[in-house]
Amino acid sequence: MSTTNPRTPILEARSLTKHFGGTRQLFTRTPTVYAVNDVSFAVEAGETFAIVGESGCGKSTLGRMLLRLIDSTQGRVFYQGKDITHQQGAPLRRLRREMQIIFQDPFASLNPGMTIGQIVGEPIALHGLARNGAERRERVADLLRTVGLQPAYADRYPHEFSGGQRQRIGIARALAGEPKLIVGDEPVSALDVSVQAQVINLLETLKQDLGLTLIMVAHDLAVIRHMSDRVAVMYLGEIVELADVDALFDTPLHPYTQALLGAIPASSPHERRSRPALSGDLPSPTKPPSGCRFHTRCPHMKPQCVQQRPVSETLPDGRRVACHFWRDIQNAGSGAPLSARVSDKLTERLALYRERQSAQAAATAAAE
Amino acid sequence: MNGGEHQPVLAVDGFSLKFSRAPGVPNLVDNVSFAVGSGETLCIVGESGCGKSVTSLALMGLLASPPAQRVAGTAYFDGKDLFALSERELADIRGNRLSMIFQEPMTSLNPAYTIGEQIAESIRRHRGIDRNEAREQALEMLRLVRIPAPETRLDAYPHQLSGGMRQRVMIAMALANRPRLLIADEPTTALDVTIQAQVLSLIRNLQAETGTAMVLITHDLGVVAEVADHVAVMYAGRIVEYGTVTDLFDDPQHPYTIGLMGAIPSVGKREGALATIRGSVPSPEQMPNGCRFAPRCPFAEQRCIDAAPPDRTLAGVHRVACWLAPVEQSAPAAASHNGAAASRREVA
Repeated sequence: MSTTNPRTPILEARSLTKHFGGTRQLFTRTPTVYAVNDVSFAVEAGETFAIVGESGCGKSTLGRMLLRLIDSTQGRVFYQGKDITHQQGAPLRRLRREMQIIFQDPFASLNPGMTIGQIVGEPIALHGLARNGAERRERVADLLRTVGLQPAYADRYPHEFSGGQRQRIGIARALAGEPKLIVGDEPVSALDVSVQAQVINLLETLKQDLGLTLIMVAHDLAVIRHMSDRVAVMYLGEIVELADVDALFDTPLHPYTQALLGAIPASSPHERRSRPALSGDLPSPTKPPSGCRFHTRCPHMKPQCVQQRPVSETLPDGRRVACHFWRDIQNAGSGAPLSARVSDKLTERLALYRERQSAQAAATAAAE
Repeated sequence: MNGGEHQPVLAVDGFSLKFSRAPGVPNLVDNVSFAVGSGETLCIVGESGCGKSVTSLALMGLLASPPAQRVAGTAYFDGKDLFALSERELADIRGNRLSMIFQEPMTSLNPAYTIGEQIAESIRRHRGIDRNEAREQALEMLRLVRIPAPETRLDAYPHQLSGGMRQRVMIAMALANRPRLLIADEPTTALDVTIQAQVLSLIRNLQAETGTAMVLITHDLGVVAEVADHVAVMYAGRIVEYGTVTDLFDDPQHPYTIGLMGAIPSVGKREGALATIRGSVPSPEQMPNGCRFAPRCPFAEQRCIDAAPPDRTLAGVHRVACWLAPVEQSAPAAASHNGAAASRREVA
């Protein structure tokens, strides 16, 4: 990191666009899917940057383009100030080492025929990070310990592990190349709540300890609130709003962000309220609406929205919003702010729970 | 529910189930009791493998037996013993007065039939009306679940609809015969948050209109906070805590409930690391003999390992199966005990 200008973002997307399909078949053309459209943003080293949106909004496609796992139709990707959009061969391989991905489904993303040791050791061998087999095994054992698994697991196969453990294995593999940046593509959404919390905590600790940059692609707004520094909200392939996490959750500016936050279920039965639910479904990305892509579902829609695509406006504090009328909407009030009321008894018992848990952990550690 | 004059729509008492005839194998669902009244919503909360879905399938008579085997317990639906019904009697109730919504709307709809045919089939099967009338009612149901352009959707195939739309078709189908009880197994889990909000408010409104009782199975405490009247928290086949939704959120008693609530990231301002529940759910082969949560519980004592805690009623319907609840009363003494244990281990 010291070799580059501290002002240079670690990763930057400039007008990234991805279209799928549109290829000619015998008599017809397959429909073109406009998956990602003219997306630009910069990720600072050391931050957690979240890309949030509903299924079909293009967030996974975007994540993959950033890592060069798929090629963009238009636009450029910069890594530490260097254009990597068309990089090939050895430089691309080096890049692969520094930029890793954690996948959503821990059941589909580990090769069932390989042992854990082979899975985690593969990037080490591939990038020549160990001089010999013994050193590699040592490194694998270290990695497994880092993600909270026993080194002895190296000889076992993926089917022997639960979902949470598999996700830890996926994380160990991502860490094996000593990356600087990790993209998590819904890394916790397939996990049960208690296991999800373990993996979230692990990712946060690792990020801190190893100085990683995280890009979280996710749809769970609570997870995003908990983990991220900045958030980009996507709708139908475009970023509609980009802001610091607190600003976004406290005062969402774009009507889609407002709808998204408004749809989060209450955190306590005392906060039940009838809220205006967003009507309709996501339009098909093969035929995105004209003008503002959100206009078909927007409660504040005006004629201008149908005709003219809103440009992304950058405010003085650096947050961005792409809506013609965000100022008017803001004055109209954007609903009650989210709160998370927790009962006193829960607070007290939870504190006790944590206290006892750490006492137990200390006791176990002492016993070892 | 309150022991008053009207009987609950569904009353399950002491229900236990296992998947093996071998003696000594622990029950997969163990001594589960709950009741739902007309117009009420009971949420069953728990993580994968806690037995919540198996319980609902067993109630619907949808578990093949063998291997599934009911060990004990009764389930009365509208005063009728569900487990004593013949397959034919059950088929008359199922999809009619007792219906179910499944999690994955794509796999539970038949891809080879139109939406209209599938809704009409269930209406004709149970009410013996003719094709045209059934189609008319199917259309009515699509309107009820607020599907846009219902006349054309009637002839659409499932693959032509979005996920949220399919789930609404499933709801239309489940409610077509005005059931007394609806069992919904993770009805919104596969859906995006804005669509989930639509479906939840739809279910709530329909329930208010029809007075249908509902058992909603979920792992999402947000959904629980939003729709539940009563909540049963399940862990490893047992109900560890049961109460009204305010009981659960304001006064959670069982350490598992506490851990679960602490493990959920909050949408409010962030604060520190999430609480976790150490380890993972025990597999049926290694089910603990005592409290099934004991190996993961930070408060566990010797008696928790030795014997399963009985259900204790606290106030009203609120009950908990834990030796130590409420934990703030047993914890201070236990803390020094734990410290002693730690120092003993150090010496050893």
